[in-house]
Amino acid sequence: MITDPKSKELDELEDMREEEVRRELGRCPGPVDLWSHEISRRGAMKVGMGGLLSVMFAQWLDPRTAAAMAQANAPGGKAKSCILLWMNGGPSHLDTFDPKPGTRNGGPFKSIKTRVPGIEICEHLPGLADVADKMCILRGMVSKEGNHQRAQYLMHTGYAPNPTITHPSLGSWVNEELGLQTSDIPNFVSISGPSIGAGFLGVQNGPFVVQNPAQPPVNINYAPNINEERFDRRQSALANLESQFALETGDLKVKGRQAVYAKAVRMMKSPKLKAFDISDEPEAVKAAYGTGSFGQGCLMARRLVESGVKFVEVVLDGWDTHQDNFNRTSKLMGQVDPGFSMLIKDLAERNLLDSTLIIWMGEFGRTPVINGNEGRDHFPSAWNAVMAGGGVRKGIVHGQTDSDGMKVVENPIAVPNFFATVSSLLGMNPEKSFMTPVGRPIAITELGKPIRDLMA
Amino acid sequence: MKRLIGWSSIHAPYVLLSLVAVQMPVMGQLSGADTATVVNQKIRSAWKVNNITPTGTVDDAQYLRRVYLDIVGTIPTAEAVREFLQDTSSNKRQRVVSSLLKDPKYAQNWTNYWDSVLMGRTYRAQTLDKVAWKQWLNKQFANNVPFNKFVYDLISAEGINSTGGNVSKAAGLNRRPDQMAIRSSEDLKTNSIEDGAITPQGRVNGAVNWILKYQATPADLAGNASKIFLGVQIQCAQCHDHKTEKWKQDDFRKFTACFMNARPRQVGEYEKGSIRRVDLEDANRQFAGAGKKAMGRNEYLNQPPMALDGTDFSNAANRRKGLAAWMTTPENPWFAQAIVNRMWNHFLGRGFVEPVDDFRPGNPVVMPEVLNVLTKDFVAHDFDVKYLIRLITSTEAYQRTSLAGAKADPENKYYSRFRLKPIGPEQTLDSLILSTGVGTLLEKISGGNLEALKFSILRQLTFLFDVDEEFEQKDFEGTIPQALLLLNSNLTNRTTQPIPGSALAHILNDAVSDNQVIEELYLRTLSRKPTISETKKWLEFVNAPRDVVVTAPSPQPEISKREERKMFDRKQIAQNKAFKKGGSGPDLLTRFPTKYNTFEASPKMQAFEDMFWTLLNSSEFVFNH
Repeated sequence: MITDPKSKELDELEDMREEEVRRELGRCPGPVDLWSHEISRRGAMKVGMGGLLSVMFAQWLDPRTAAAMAQANAPGGKAKSCILLWMNGGPSHLDTFDPKPGTRNGGPFKSIKTRVPGIEICEHLPGLADVADKMCILRGMVSKEGNHQRAQYLMHTGYAPNPTITHPSLGSWVNEELGLQTSDIPNFVSISGPSIGAGFLGVQNGPFVVQNPAQPPVNINYAPNINEERFDRRQSALANLESQFALETGDLKVKGRQAVYAKAVRMMKSPKLKAFDISDEPEAVKAAYGTGSFGQGCLMARRLVESGVKFVEVVLDGWDTHQDNFNRTSKLMGQVDPGFSMLIKDLAERNLLDSTLIIWMGEFGRTPVINGNEGRDHFPSAWNAVMAGGGVRKGIVHGQTDSDGMKVVENPIAVPNFFATVSSLLGMNPEKSFMTPVGRPIAITELGKPIRDLMA
Repeated sequence: MKRLIGWSSIHAPYVLLSLVAVQMPVMGQLSGADTATVVNQKIRSAWKVNNITPTGTVDDAQYLRRVYLDIVGTIPTAEAVREFLQDTSSNKRQRVVSSLLKDPKYAQNWTNYWDSVLMGRTYRAQTLDKVAWKQWLNKQFANNVPFNKFVYDLISAEGINSTGGNVSKAAGLNRRPDQMAIRSSEDLKTNSIEDGAITPQGRVNGAVNWILKYQATPADLAGNASKIFLGVQIQCAQCHDHKTEKWKQDDFRKFTACFMNARPRQVGEYEKGSIRRVDLEDANRQFAGAGKKAMGRNEYLNQPPMALDGTDFSNAANRRKGLAAWMTTPENPWFAQAIVNRMWNHFLGRGFVEPVDDFRPGNPVVMPEVLNVLTKDFVAHDFDVKYLIRLITSTEAYQRTSLAGAKADPENKYYSRFRLKPIGPEQTLDSLILSTGVGTLLEKISGGNLEALKFSILRQLTFLFDVDEEFEQKDFEGTIPQALLLLNSNLTNRTTQPIPGSALAHILNDAVSDNQVIEELYLRTLSRKPTISETKKWLEFVNAPRDVVVTAPSPQPEISKREERKMFDRKQIAQNKAFKKGGSGPDLLTRFPTKYNTFEASPKMQAFEDMFWTLLNSSEFVFNH
């Protein structure tokens, strides 16, 4: 093998390369881009219909922990729905809810007072400052995953990726545990992003994706030259074929498929489908939420929750600000602020805030140290998130970082405990386990304990 | 006659450790027909013991559809069905399997299969050349390289990842690997990345790209190598000792240590926007990097490199070669059975062990004696994959009907009835295109870039199907988005209209009677002729009085020029960007012609459209049965 003696080991190149690509492209290479460590999503599909479900997913709950859990669970369980505002790419804590103006790492943003004395947040979040009395700011988030894809998986599922199993995302757990089988519309909706799927819980627990909140969900309308009459005629011809095939094969898969088709058709014709149509809303409301797709997504999330949807994820992409962090972040906050604050106000006015848990977070934070491109890089060891409603304590800050924002010095929140808290708030036992196809029981959270301090 | 490699010659350490491997008395080598007979006998006796009545033998048309989907990944054409039904020779089933094994689509289908198992949805990376990788895979299957050699070459791969060039084309989406050939040295530089090409720095070996994929995560390389090729999920022991199974954390660390000398060096100059060319070799060098990446490695660096049975490669000149030889030796009790189980699963819809890559004492093998006979015969035939396919497709188990049996086992663990297998996204798309005859139209719409268009549709399909590289299609009823796609999208609606060039236009042009149209649509979709009663029902359907339905133009969003550019920008595709948000790109199928040209929209024409649509939405179409 001929090698150039002057050539470098890739290891040496690694850091150099990140830097170099960053400079060249002005966007994040990240370990994902460089090495492309894709997450194995080995979905052992065990889709259960009705009674099959209990056989396939033998529920498994250690009786010893059951009693302990009942106690640990006690404060939670108020939330009936959850809205996850997903900040894709990872927002900086110093530039959002943990400002340190005037310090070495603080950056150019000022902080502003909020409705809660003593709590200050970034100047670009005035709307949220006004509803800070309803927010629970977490300044002690801590994790170990600094690679986008791995961290996105971690912060959606509560588990680090492992090739032998694919964990369900929180929305899928909620779908499985709290979702209503009889609902006309899906219990788990993801807006502007595909989210993360159901893993071993099976595709029926995956998200229903709305690509663009300004448009109806894809393929929900009749095709050209199809009206209801013609559609129904096709349906009855299909029903003939299907029942013949089901009869001949006696296979449950055919019946299962018929059931899924029936659900799809029910959704197409459901009056609840209007929840997906924000054009119904008054112009003033639409404007108040912000006209970008994030604000409109927040508005759709509110409508969906009102219609009984259990889990809605709204994605705002663009937080991976290795370069030009401050301009880009202030623009992003211009979308977050109206969307998120209106969501809180609107739900509160409709008496839905106490039963709706809102979570604002990304996959990690960004380096307090500002890099040579006016940017901030990946930083999992200290970052922030926000919760509101759904039985969460109001008007508090939990956790604290040091004066440089480099590490958490008070009340660090480990990922499993965060997920256990969310799970408890939603009334799901965080230790409840499911038997996976490889014969290993997996709990909703990985040995997580709910944080009582966060619960009202 | 090839030398008999009997399991009795297994070395003592293997016997001790092969808790999972199946032991069998020695038997003489058999020809494929003899082995099939033995397999048939053993399965029959399992039926008898378990008091199972199997279903009857599948008819010719369904057998043809099965072997097409399983071997070349698409349904047969109407002509192929007709020809096969007219063929009166007694060995036509074996002959069609043989001819499919020679079809270029065979190598393409198995390239796709192994690409998704091994590489998955990995598209973006500076050092990964997916074209060279897929070319390498394609060669293995086109040349029917013995499976043990294939795996040996993969595990021990050394050489250069790529001939270089733009990073975007390395995503490998613009052309089919089997269509690629070096035409000139200019090609080498600009457009054609070649597995096997000789460059000034050395030979390109597409296989190294798989190793490079795991450069930052060697534990996952070890875990996947063990899982996929040995059927042992040793990575379960990554975090802690397994409670009930035998593997300890140390076993996993030692196994991972076997891969720790895989060391890429950059070759040549790196140019912005191009693939970073590296030379991968197995070298016992100190790691130069001391940063974040090194931390994850320390756990494995200082472990002695050992195989699962304790074979130590500490003194091996090349650890990966040592491991690859150990893995692929005929005496390795895990290796051959893992691939046989995987192939059996592919064809029969269920492995003897489930999941297919999870052999362990707590997960018993169904009919271990059958797996053993197949494994032994596969080894005796030098790991010949095509031989194994001929063998499996000739068994009685593979030729059961999928009809409800008089007395079948409830879990169908004994293959007394053919399992319904949902066809995967690629197969669905290719079969839809084949049925509706819109290939040429799609080519036109895509401006000659059919592969990119197909990729974008596939993105939507896989996305909506929520499937991925290791998706197992069992017990799968689909999702609401998937149902909506088949119900309402252009993929099943515009394609079933008699627009110029489409199947329905041809059929309506040529057919002299309604019966003919009905038969043709059945052959094109379900690969069989309709029964008398089916024909009767459809005749009633298409002749029933109805009005022509014309609606206002589609509410589908228009595709902006910008979106379209994004969609076909290879760089965007390479980086998955055009599709990242929302999971799918704009729907170019809205560009299908809306005018029928030679046809007047009539009630009967719309009735045939409805029939076509119905057949494509039927379970009989979307299941391999």
